[in-house]
Amino acid sequence: MPVYLPIAEMSVDAGLLLGIGLGVGWLSGLFGVGGGFLLTPLLILIGIPAPVAVASGANQTLGASVSGLIAQWRRGNVDARMGVVLLVAGLAGSFAGTQLFVLLRRLGQVDLAVSLFYVVVLGTVGALMVRESVRAIFRRRRAAPARTHQHSWLHGLPFKMRFRQSRLYISVIPPALVGFGIGILSAIMGVGGGFMLVPAMIYVLGMPTGTTIGTSLFQVTFVSANVTLLQALQTGSVDVVLTLLLLAGGVAGAQFGAAMGTKLRGEETRALLGLLVLGVAISLLVALVRTPGSLYLLGPVT
Amino acid sequence: MRGATLAAALLAAALIAAPAQAQREGQPAPPPQAGPALAAELAQPRIAVDTAFTGADLLVFGATDRLLGPSGDNVVVLGLGAPRDVVVRRRVRRLGIWVNGPSARFREVPNYYALAATAPVADLLDEPARRERRLGLELMTARLPGPREPEFRQALIDLKHASGGWNEEASPVEISGGRLFHARLPLPSTIATGDYVVQVMLVRANRIVARQELSFRVDRVGATARIADFSRGQPLLYGLACVVLAALAGWLGSVVFRRG
Repeated sequence: MPVYLPIAEMSVDAGLLLGIGLGVGWLSGLFGVGGGFLLTPLLILIGIPAPVAVASGANQTLGASVSGLIAQWRRGNVDARMGVVLLVAGLAGSFAGTQLFVLLRRLGQVDLAVSLFYVVVLGTVGALMVRESVRAIFRRRRAAPARTHQHSWLHGLPFKMRFRQSRLYISVIPPALVGFGIGILSAIMGVGGGFMLVPAMIYVLGMPTGTTIGTSLFQVTFVSANVTLLQALQTGSVDVVLTLLLLAGGVAGAQFGAAMGTKLRGEETRALLGLLVLGVAISLLVALVRTPGSLYLLGPVT
Repeated sequence: MRGATLAAALLAAALIAAPAQAQREGQPAPPPQAGPALAAELAQPRIAVDTAFTGADLLVFGATDRLLGPSGDNVVVLGLGAPRDVVVRRRVRRLGIWVNGPSARFREVPNYYALAATAPVADLLDEPARRERRLGLELMTARLPGPREPEFRQALIDLKHASGGWNEEASPVEISGGRLFHARLPLPSTIATGDYVVQVMLVRANRIVARQELSFRVDRVGATARIADFSRGQPLLYGLACVVLAALAGWLGSVVFRRG
């Protein structure tokens, strides 16, 4: 059934949007990522103008992560205190990242910078996650005792804080730095940052996988609400019809994903997310290297 | 519904044609000013873009005072959208990666272009006349202000053609009853809102002897219009509404699928 999108100014098949929403929402609930890094390229692929895809993608991420957040909250998987620390630092980071984005645009080739950023960040994160989780799976097979996290210089820092749900007693400085860094990256890459946040919480902060998913959703909810508002104000490219169609599929998918996530072991979830992130990085790299079908494109007037 | 529109249009065309015919029959020696040589009209002066809009065909119809066809007069119909600036970029390979390379900026590029005629336009008019009236994508783009490289102009034609925004002689102007004609200009679902112009030209002996300019508007209506106006007029409220709606949808989903 075709439906006309008022802001994108084009007609798209509603069933296609529902299907995309369902798939991305399922991944979002399963891995605690907003799914923006998958959704935005998919929307551009089906012909939605890039600014509308980015802005409406952020809005759909908001709805999907609220749905996932409620599901995770019921299971006690949300560390609200950690979430607030990450969020405050993340908002500061995204402000700094926006300034950096403006600077990159002034230097030209911002498209290329974003694409390369995606490939490098996704490739690194994905490869590290796959490597670590595969090791963890083998270690479990050999029934060797696994440490929850290593003690390093990070644990000697001041301003210690107790994060009850994560069973952590650490300084606020590492989570604040993680939040700030991911804020910068998500502003440049135009995504919520969940796919970077989950591994960072696991490997840098040493949080248990179950809690990271709920806490990441907590952070992604607020970041995507902020992005939606800023996009509506500055570019006017949030398409509410597109968003709600994606959400209709997305919220259902997120619930199924969250239910399935509880059946998977932490390292299995991490291995799957790692593979997914790595897969997106590889497909983006292929797109950069392969000879395009048309050597020319219509660009926006700058 | 489309058939009914066409029938009504042809009836209207016949009515337009009637006075011209009557006048000529009344006077045995037809003077040159006897009635209009060409009368054309659009089936809809306004294209309404609602939530179910998937593109449309704009029906242009009319009548002429002399017989149309291979041995007689011919009609050329040209639809044009508002002029806009467009940048065409070429991708180049640097260090094995495809990046945006040189670009060409063209000014006053019509965002919509459709050409139809009763016979191939190239056979009807010579090149200077076609260039003056922008009849043909190549002649039209050659006139656009911008860099001279022909490959960028050809790329502009190819890209606009592929998006459905530009087309030339995709289907002919149909003739019925010798003096009535009608053409359908295809409007893609991505058509921009705003004012459009349709020029109808009567060609006789390789010259344009009569010309009529019609206009139509593409407007959003209903929910589509309200959403677009709201997002433009009250961006802050619209943004907040988007946030609340998305959060509500998320909450609703978690309630509905709680046991699923």
